Amino acid sequence: MTGRSARVVVAGLGSDYRRDDGAGPLIAARAVAEAGNGRNIGPVSDPLDLLGAWDGADLAIVVDAVRSGVAPGTLRVLELTAGGSGEPVERSGATSTHGIGLAGVLRLARAVGQAPARVVVVGVEGEDFGRGLGLSPAVNATVPAAVHRVVELISEVRPCA
Amino acid sequence: MSHGSGSPRTIGVEGLSRVEGGGSLRVAVHDGTVTDVALEIFEPPRFFEALLVGRHFTEAPDITARICGICPVAYQMSACAAMEDACGVTVDDRVASLRRLLYCGEWIESHALHIYLLHAPDFLGCADAVELAEQDRGAVERGLGLKRTGNRVMETVGGRAVHPVNVRVGGFYRAPDPDAVAALADPLRRARDAALDTVEWVSRFEIPDLPGDYRFVALRDPGHYPVERGRPCSSDGLDASPAEFEELVVEEHVARSTALHARLAGRDPYLTGPLARYALNSDMLPPLAADAAAAAGLGPVCFNPFQSIVVRSVELVFACDEALALVEAYAPPDPPAVDFPPRRGVGIGVTEAPRGLLLQRYEIDEEGTIIRARIVPPTSQNQLTIEADLRRVVQDGLDLGDDELQWRCEQSVRNHDPCISCAAHFLDISVVSA
Repeated sequence: MTGRSARVVVAGLGSDYRRDDGAGPLIAARAVAEAGNGRNIGPVSDPLDLLGAWDGADLAIVVDAVRSGVAPGTLRVLELTAGGSGEPVERSGATSTHGIGLAGVLRLARAVGQAPARVVVVGVEGEDFGRGLGLSPAVNATVPAAVHRVVELISEVRPCA
Repeated sequence: MSHGSGSPRTIGVEGLSRVEGGGSLRVAVHDGTVTDVALEIFEPPRFFEALLVGRHFTEAPDITARICGICPVAYQMSACAAMEDACGVTVDDRVASLRRLLYCGEWIESHALHIYLLHAPDFLGCADAVELAEQDRGAVERGLGLKRTGNRVMETVGGRAVHPVNVRVGGFYRAPDPDAVAALADPLRRARDAALDTVEWVSRFEIPDLPGDYRFVALRDPGHYPVERGRPCSSDGLDASPAEFEELVVEEHVARSTALHARLAGRDPYLTGPLARYALNSDMLPPLAADAAAAAGLGPVCFNPFQSIVVRSVELVFACDEALALVEAYAPPDPPAVDFPPRRGVGIGVTEAPRGLLLQRYEIDEEGTIIRARIVPPTSQNQLTIEADLRRVVQDGLDLGDDELQWRCEQSVRNHDPCISCAAHFLDISVVSA
């Protein structure tokens, strides 16, 4: 791996037609442009689309609007692997007609040896997931900080010596 | 965070999980007979129909592509076809071929995803694709390889794999570089071999035998297996123009569901998708796919919905084979698109999404502003048939335990690969006995 550039991919999950759900793609695009490094593989509307796109990455950053009950606009950073080799934090019961959640996709990628070395989720607490365009004020106010955090994560990864 | 529908998930201290967006199935049983089956499905296109009004006709492909992350090309192709129909424009053969290649990429990606990651686990007693990967890593790797090849076709032709950005009304913004297209040939050859292995693999599954009495509706495109164009036809004799078909499709609101239920006026429910396409077009399959179908034991028509995974696999062979032929014959369209002014009118676009027929109708004014939009997705057309299937499955399985019956019901719904907003367990079954 001497001299190989570390591969960083950034994926914004969500739809900008669902108000705050559009935060992920927006933040991902801005962060990659600002960092001048990493590859934006979004917008991603289905976590399954990460398969193939993130294969072999040293770091995959997934930016997503979330709802966990805290104040809208709250920024959360979640490591989806424990020390790079642990199980994802959640085992999603993955029977559905049409998709698999992010944790399930990561488990699947790891089962076939195609997972990124490290997966970090940058979540922004959303407020309005209704149909329509535009972020809510609280989420919009958090966008610069979220972009900054993603840029920091990208910058932490140096080319392999 | 959405998955097609944009339904939110929750992050708790333990992590991510899907908590909303599930469907529900309510079954009423009276004296050992199923008297009512109600499947609730969330369906997003209605919002998009309103959103499209007031937008320019050239925006429709990009806006409708966002309805679904799995089949954005289908939405783009039907939108383009509708707008070109409204303006009386026909694209040249090279543009048409490039569209078909892009669409084949989506079929490969979507069918591989459904067969390997969503449906096969049902037949093999696995809770999900991860469990399948632990049991048969090679199979899942094969499926992911196929999906990757489909994505690569979409990236090369469409600019990116999800929500392609190179599609426009009249053609493409840029014709793909011939070398880039030629580079798809080897991956497609490998994918075609993998697709043949897929047919052989699924044909060995233990498949329930619960045939349905279906009214199939699919496009027919003389000389071709239908993908991006054709006339809507049915197994009971309908042969209509897209405009005639659009007038026949009547959608009803049903109180229990956010999805509309489609029927052909005055007639029974109908089924679109792989089973319907195959039933009406098996004679149009190229030899490789036709031979694979015969080797898998399929006749010219298949009425058993649980064999849809076999039919879908045959279509996977077709899509790889067809894409390879298109790659080998590729000549860049020049210009890549036809420019034309809008005119007041109505246009209909009907194409074959991986999971079934997708219809769009637009009314535009002389400035090209969309006055009215109608989008009829495959799932809305199939929902009544899916319910009829469930009725049969539940009736046949009343002796099964709750878990086993739920398993069989979910498998039954997945037979038709519907676009349903997903939950960890998408069906909450309640059996009301009287």
